[in-house]
Amino acid sequence: MMTTVVLAAMLGGVWLAAKYRENGSRAVLLPDQVMTLLPEPKPLTAFAFTDHENRVFDLSRLKGKWSFLFFGYTHCPDVCPTTLATLARAHESMAKSKAGAEDVQFVFISVDPNRDTAGKLRQYVTYFDASFLGVAGDDAELGKLAGQLGAVYQVEVKPGAENYPVYHTAAVFLVDPRARYHAVFAPPLDAEGISKRFEVLRELEGPRAT
Amino acid sequence: MSWRYLVGLILALTAIAAATEEAGVSIRDAWVREAPPGATMMAGYMVLKNNTPRSQVLVAARSSGFGAVMIHRTVVKGGLTGMEHAPKIELLPNASLLFEPGGYHLMLLNPKRALHAGDRVDINLEFLGGLVIPVAYEVRK
Repeated sequence: MMTTVVLAAMLGGVWLAAKYRENGSRAVLLPDQVMTLLPEPKPLTAFAFTDHENRVFDLSRLKGKWSFLFFGYTHCPDVCPTTLATLARAHESMAKSKAGAEDVQFVFISVDPNRDTAGKLRQYVTYFDASFLGVAGDDAELGKLAGQLGAVYQVEVKPGAENYPVYHTAAVFLVDPRARYHAVFAPPLDAEGISKRFEVLRELEGPRAT
Repeated sequence: MSWRYLVGLILALTAIAAATEEAGVSIRDAWVREAPPGATMMAGYMVLKNNTPRSQVLVAARSSGFGAVMIHRTVVKGGLTGMEHAPKIELLPNASLLFEPGGYHLMLLNPKRALHAGDRVDINLEFLGGLVIPVAYEVRK
């Protein structure tokens, strides 16, 4: 089973590499449907959040690193913990790879800033991986970044209710070290799939993207 | 042996067979994902197997270990992922149904104590017709 997964991931990587050599252009969606590359990386524009250490998290914090962004909320019982656990495993395997994970960050962006305080975000994201960052901002700032990524969310607030569902995109967005929206991983997500493709992408893009 | 006795025996055997059939839903791989400290929501997963030739309908899940337990399903609508309450779930005859991440799950609200990997959680599954199956869920990371 494991061998099959690794093999499939490697084949995906080989295909990606071949595609690049073939015509220098980008595939929009790889045939395995795991990663979608943007035809042209899209430079992101200003936004301002606060991270779980109460520091400003703005566009400058996306520069110099590859950033995996995921929109969610801490009251989410199924998809968010599943995704964060998957990203933690992907991070672990990137850290073991040749290129390492020094220039990679994982950012959990709250779509429920009313309930997700800095303290709650810290407790939540660092449980999955000590290096993970939780950030939150007001609706306007959230809209600025989400809009640029095509990420959608909708809070179904029921007056007086303590528990209300939040609908959000379950995709993971990849921003390159020049703060450009570069690729997106669609669910269902698997750790090996993400780390192997990222490894290949980083190798191909390294000089151009940093 | 009178025919009355025979009919009685047959009826009794039929009743026993029916009762055994009623208990014919088995559950395996029951687990709850360990949550970050302070989390107010957790999720439970399992594989349900209906061993009977009739549909079985799961209508509720209850546990004294949580403020509330609800049967939910993660759904994707127009690119948005969210949760939907599933008031009842039909298990088709002799079929299996998966409660798994990204799909059906038991939403466990407000755990009464902190749960850690290796702990056990007891939840009763209730089916239409009165069948109640107690299930032990293992907390896993």
